Amino acid sequence: MTTSATDETATGPRIDPRLLEVLVCPVSKSALVYDAGRQELLSRKAGLAFPIRNGVPLLTVEAARSLTDAEIGKL
Amino acid sequence: MIAVMSTPEPTAANPNTSFGFRTVTEDERQSLVNDVFSKVAERYDLMNDLMSGGLHRLWKSDFVAALNPPRADAAFRLLDVAGGTGDIAMRCLAAAGPNTSAVICDISPEMLEVGRRRVTDAGLADRITLVEGNAEELPFPDKSFDAYTISFGIRNVTHIDKALSEARRVLKTGGHFLCLEFSDVQVPILDRIYDFHSFEVIPRLGRLAAGDAQPYQYLVESIRKFPKQETFAAMIRAAGFSNVSYRNLTGGVAAIHSGWRI
Repeated sequence: MTTSATDETATGPRIDPRLLEVLVCPVSKSALVYDAGRQELLSRKAGLAFPIRNGVPLLTVEAARSLTDAEIGKL
Repeated sequence: MIAVMSTPEPTAANPNTSFGFRTVTEDERQSLVNDVFSKVAERYDLMNDLMSGGLHRLWKSDFVAALNPPRADAAFRLLDVAGGTGDIAMRCLAAAGPNTSAVICDISPEMLEVGRRRVTDAGLADRITLVEGNAEELPFPDKSFDAYTISFGIRNVTHIDKALSEARRVLKTGGHFLCLEFSDVQVPILDRIYDFHSFEVIPRLGRLAAGDAQPYQYLVESIRKFPKQETFAAMIRAAGFSNVSYRNLTGGVAAIHSGWRI
């Protein structure tokens, strides 16, 4: 799935920073990186970006999109 | 309405499993289950009232009593899996001290949306967080929760053993696993009444209240396919839990299974 950093995500409720500390990638169980602009949680190890909608992180493989090599390189 | 017109051939990667009394592939099952909950989400709790004659409220009270969250200031972190509408998490917080918090993890976006609204309306958004996730692949670190609850959820999981193993992984040492689920009625005569209620009454109630009998047909069938008390207790032990026990509610219409990570 493609996610765009549109108005909808930019104005949606922000994710609670405390929540980020208690979430890991469901696939690799490694730490996630928060992309506030795109409202995504990025897993370098699994190469996946998990969307956040209305402040709710969607941490399933089905909801995720694959990260590009360039995106993984920046992590 | 759930329509399976053609069933793909099962393969090693996608073997056959059950959806109610039908045999479907595992991939199909998850999407069929998701479909059921997307349809019933808005009226899920109302339907539970109608289907159980209000009994599910008593069972959930028993369930929260079994969880026994701290009433004092001690910090306590609950993970409620498949608890999308927020029912169990909110009951738990109502029974607990101020430093109890809960994370709700559910695979159904529709159920979570109902929960998100209720949690916000109840002013509990700072103590309850919602995450969309799969019970078989939890997005939480090892040993991060004091308790794991799953209420009327585990029979909808495709690989129950995986979900149990994930439950143990995310529990702290000394953490408590609690499962509330429909079970096997062990009282004569009550079992016949229950059969009639299940197969004749519930799907009709579903059609009347939610506009669709099919999802409730699935719910009824999935209850019958779920392992009986002793078998399920053995699965919990096999996942590595200790001091595993269960208690029947209403003659076994439902049961609370309990285990500890030691």
